[in-house]
Amino acid sequence: MMYKKGKIWTTESRLAYLLLLPAAVFLIVFMFYPIVFVILMSFFKVNKLGNLVGFFGTGNFESLLKLPEFGSVIVRSCLWTALAVAAKTAIGLVIALLLNVEFKGRKLARTLIIIPWASSIPISAMLWQWTYNNDFGLLNYTLRFLGFNPPVWLAFPRSAFFANMWVDIWCGIPFMALVFLAGLQAIPQELYEAAEVDGATSLFKFRFVTLPLLGGVLTVATLLSILWTFNDFNVIYILTKGGPANSTDILITYIYKYAFQYIKFGPSAAMAVITFVILMVVSIFYARNYFREGVQ
Amino acid sequence: MKKSIWGIMLIVTLVIGLAFAAHAAKVRVMWAEYDGLTPEYATNLQAAFEKANPGTELEIISTPWNEFHDRLVTFIAGGNAPDLSVIGTRWILELMEMGVLEPIEQHLSKSLLDNIDPALFEGKIKGVVYGLPVAAGTRLMYWRSDVLGKVPETMQEMLTMLQKVTNPEKKFYGIAMTGQKYVELTEYAYFLFANGGYFFDFNKDGSYGKCAVNNEAGIGALSFMNDMVNKYKVTQPGVTAYKRDEVQNLFISGNAAIMMTGGFGASLLNQTKVPFKWDVAPIPPFEGKPQSSLIVTDAMVMFKDSKVKAEAAKFLDFFYSDEWRLQFDKLVGFPPVTKSLASNEFFQTPVYKVMVQQIAGAKPWPLMAEWPECNDLIWDNIEATFLGQKEVKQAMDDAAAAIDALRATK
Repeated sequence: MMYKKGKIWTTESRLAYLLLLPAAVFLIVFMFYPIVFVILMSFFKVNKLGNLVGFFGTGNFESLLKLPEFGSVIVRSCLWTALAVAAKTAIGLVIALLLNVEFKGRKLARTLIIIPWASSIPISAMLWQWTYNNDFGLLNYTLRFLGFNPPVWLAFPRSAFFANMWVDIWCGIPFMALVFLAGLQAIPQELYEAAEVDGATSLFKFRFVTLPLLGGVLTVATLLSILWTFNDFNVIYILTKGGPANSTDILITYIYKYAFQYIKFGPSAAMAVITFVILMVVSIFYARNYFREGVQ
Repeated sequence: MKKSIWGIMLIVTLVIGLAFAAHAAKVRVMWAEYDGLTPEYATNLQAAFEKANPGTELEIISTPWNEFHDRLVTFIAGGNAPDLSVIGTRWILELMEMGVLEPIEQHLSKSLLDNIDPALFEGKIKGVVYGLPVAAGTRLMYWRSDVLGKVPETMQEMLTMLQKVTNPEKKFYGIAMTGQKYVELTEYAYFLFANGGYFFDFNKDGSYGKCAVNNEAGIGALSFMNDMVNKYKVTQPGVTAYKRDEVQNLFISGNAAIMMTGGFGASLLNQTKVPFKWDVAPIPPFEGKPQSSLIVTDAMVMFKDSKVKAEAAKFLDFFYSDEWRLQFDKLVGFPPVTKSLASNEFFQTPVYKVMVQQIAGAKPWPLMAEWPECNDLIWDNIEATFLGQKEVKQAMDDAAAAIDALRATK
C-alpha cells in the first residue's frame, strides 16, 4: 500500500517526528544497539576487550553445554523466579486487600509499605546482610532470644538460597501491593453491593468479583515482576556472590562471572541471549493471554 | 524572536567551548580501599596534589578490594580505562593479554625508580617494568596472647591449643576463618604453603606445570582445614558465609583466638583500640615442614590509552614522596616499598619485623593470565568440601583436573 507523501510528511507530522527523535535516538543507542551487539557477540569469537574477532557460529552456545553446572543454573533461575514472584504476588495481594479496607492510620500504613521499594536494592541487600550475620545480626539474635537455634543463613546452600530469595521478595512486595491496590480501587463498589444483595460471602466476592476484575493488573504486575526477578543481580551478588559452592548462582550472576571475572565475553553473551529468549517467550505468552482477555 | 534564540544559542556554545578549552588535564586513578586506609587519606592526597600541580585535576576512583578486579575489567571493556590503577600484581599478565598496559618504567623519574627496593619489582615482565610496587607484605598470624599464653610452633600444636579455648556457647572460636569465595584464595594458601605445597608444579624451564593442589601437600592442607571446620569445630560455625572483613571483625570484637591476615590487621586492631592483648607471629608450618607464608604484592600500572601520561607520572612522583608514602604505609600496615622509609622508626615494631622475617620463605601468587578462574575453581571445591558435598581428595582432584583442562585450551 502506497502512502501519499502529504499524509506522512505534513507540517504537523514533521513536528511529531522531531519531537519523537530524541526518544528514538535514545532507544536505538541505549537499547537496540546493545541488544544487537550482544546477539552478534554470541555468534563471534570475542577478545578480552569485547571486540568481535571472528565468526564462531554456535561455538559459544556449544561451550555452555559442556559446563556441568549450566543446566542447574537455568533450573535454579526458573525456580528462583517462580517462587519469588508467587510469594510477592500472594503477599502483595494480601497487603493490598488490607490497605483497601478503611481503618485509622491507613495513610501512614500505605506510606510505610513503600519504604523497601523506595530504598535502593543494594542498600537493602547490605542491610539484610548485616541482619543475617550470625554473630552480630538482628535476626539470629532475636531467634536465639526466643529460644530457637537458628542456622548461619548464608553458609549453607538451601538456607542461602531462601535467604537471598526473601530479600528479593522483601524488595518487590511494595510494588505488587501498590499496583494491586490501584487495581482494587478501580473496581466499582456497586458490584460488591450487588453481590452482597445476592448473599455472597467475602470469599465469594473475592473469587467472583475481585479476582476477575483484577486479572489485567495481575497479569501486567506479575510479568514485570518475572522480568525483574529473573534478572535480579544485586541481591545475590551482595549477599553471597552466587555461593556457597555456586548454590545461589542464577543466570544473571553467572553471566557476570563469565564476563567480568573470567573475561569470557563470548560465552557470557550466549548466556545473555538465552536469558533474552526465555524472557521473550514468557512475555509473549503473557501478552497473548492479556490481549485475549481484553478482547473477551 | 528568532534573533534572540540564535543569540542565546551562540552564548551557550561559547560558554561550553570555553569550559572545554579551560578544562584541566585530568588524571584518573583507580584506588584500592585497603583495610585500614581511611577515605580522608585519598581526599587529602587529591587536594594536596592539585594544589601542588595547578592545572592538573586528580580523580580518585575508590573501590573495595573484593570488587576491584571486576570493576577494572568493566572500565577497560567499556573503553573507559583509567590512567593509573592499583592492581594485584598477579593480574598483570591478564591485563597484558588484553593489550592495555603501558610499560610504566619509561614514564617514571629516576629518583622514584631508584627509591624502590629492586626485590619488589614482581611486575617486571621480560625485563620491562609494567607494575610499580605499591604494597607488599607477607601474611601473619594474629593471636590472643591473653588467651593462648604462648605462640603455637606448628599447625598441629595450634589445633591442640584451639580445641582447649574454643567455646561456641560463649561465641568464642579458636580461629576465625574465611570460607566464602573471595577475590583471593588466601586461607587455603596459608595452609598449603605451611604444608610445603604450591598451586602448580614447575617445569625445568621455571614455567608452571600441572596443577598440584591434589598432591599430598594440597590434600593435607585442605584436610586440616576441613577437620578444623567440621571435625574439631574450632572455627566459627558456618565458615562458608564469612568473607575476610567479617573474619577480621570476629577477631577485633574479641570472638576468636587466632586470625591470619595481612599487615592491615594490625592497623585495624590499633585503630579500634581493642581491649584485649594480642600479638603477631609467623604463620606456623606443619610438623617437619619449613615455615612459609604468602607474600602479596600490589602494583600501580599505567594504561596505554592514557592521554595524560606525563601528568600521571607526576602524580606517582607526588604519591611516592616520603610524606604521603609514610601515611599510606602506616594506615595499610604494609612494610614500606621505598628505600627511604625502610629505616623509619615506625616500621621497627614486631608486626613489621615478623613480616620482614617471613620474606625469605614466602611464596607469591602464581603469575598467570588465567589465575582468576583457577582461583575460583579451587574456591568452589573448598566450599564443596566444607559443606560435605565432596571428599577432600575428590574436591582437589576435581579442581586440578578443571584447572589443567582450562590451561590446556589456552
